Amino acid sequence: MTRLARFESGVLPHLDAAYNLARWLTRNDHDAEDVVQEAFMRALRYFDGMKGTDARPWLLGIVRNTCYTWLEKNRPADLVPLDDFEALAAETASPAATPEVILLQSANRKLVNQALEELPVGYREVIVMREIEDMSYKEIASVAGIPIGTVMSRLSRGRELLKVEIENRLRRAS
Amino acid sequence: MNPKNSPANEPIVARDATYHRAPDELRARIRSSLAAEARKQVRPMFWKWGGMAAAVAAASVLSWNVAMLQAKGGEEERLAREIASAHVRSLMAENHLSDVASTDQHTVKPWFQGKLDFAPVVTDLAASGFALAGGRLDYINGRPVAALVYRHRLHVMNLFQWPAAGSGDSAPELVTRHGYSLVRWKRAGIEYWVVSDASSPELLKFAQLYASI
Repeated sequence: MTRLARFESGVLPHLDAAYNLARWLTRNDHDAEDVVQEAFMRALRYFDGMKGTDARPWLLGIVRNTCYTWLEKNRPADLVPLDDFEALAAETASPAATPEVILLQSANRKLVNQALEELPVGYREVIVMREIEDMSYKEIASVAGIPIGTVMSRLSRGRELLKVEIENRLRRAS
Repeated sequence: MNPKNSPANEPIVARDATYHRAPDELRARIRSSLAAEARKQVRPMFWKWGGMAAAVAAASVLSWNVAMLQAKGGEEERLAREIASAHVRSLMAENHLSDVASTDQHTVKPWFQGKLDFAPVVTDLAASGFALAGGRLDYINGRPVAALVYRHRLHVMNLFQWPAAGSGDSAPELVTRHGYSLVRWKRAGIEYWVVSDASSPELLKFAQLYASI
């Protein structure tokens, strides 16, 4: 089997996962396509270094790096430091006025999508990988280049922020 | 807060957020770029084997083949340089960019009639982000050629066309020269070269779109 054939059978099946992550990080179809294409070219170049590792987290690591490079260049404002939000998360951790059941019943796809897009990219990426892509903490840690403990705390804070954002949107809508 | 205390919180996203699947068109584009890239990456290996085999066997036929391939490589290099220069020249003076400035393909295409010995393929790809901006005559590879100008975001793209030397189509292939990306392909008897400082994926996308009309 040629190198290209090995790449196509081992890495290309993860194109959907790559696109999903890039689409959530860039928040735009067109930019996600560009980033994914660039990431696949890089992946082919570094393919020999993949040996022995799982293809999906390996590819997603490259996709994430390509996304961040792209964001730095095109949307630097998106790369906010998370410190401010950690304080905000602590403030908003008090029990919500809306019962969760109601929240769950009324939170539709559009609302959740919008709220998730609003989340700072550092929280958004761990939530996307954990809840949409169904990856393990360990895999997420390796893709994002952060310790497992940080993955867990970001997930927890990200979910809180998401909940608050959804509640705010529901309140505004009603 | 411990997320375990709010289990209802956890499945919100998993259940309700969109899983964005890659469009088929992107899949096709990536496969084609991968194939082109793989060919490029394989080449140094080929030279090594080609050189060794020639030295060991001293087979005249093989040496001749290698020489031909080198000549072709040199030819491509020269052409790429010439096209990159034409691109830079076109950007130096705004009025050198287009002899016919129009975003309408039905204005640009007829403009070439009687100026060239072939009919260039003119199409507007504004819907895909590549807007036709005009056309002009240029002189490449010792002959008059059609140069179409496209704009992609802030980038100017020059698409050169002339009748292909041999028959047969060839898929878009990326060539990089002095910071400019060039993509060449052949289709239905016309050789195309597009050059820009836009990113290579953009240029390849443009080429794929053009090659598929």
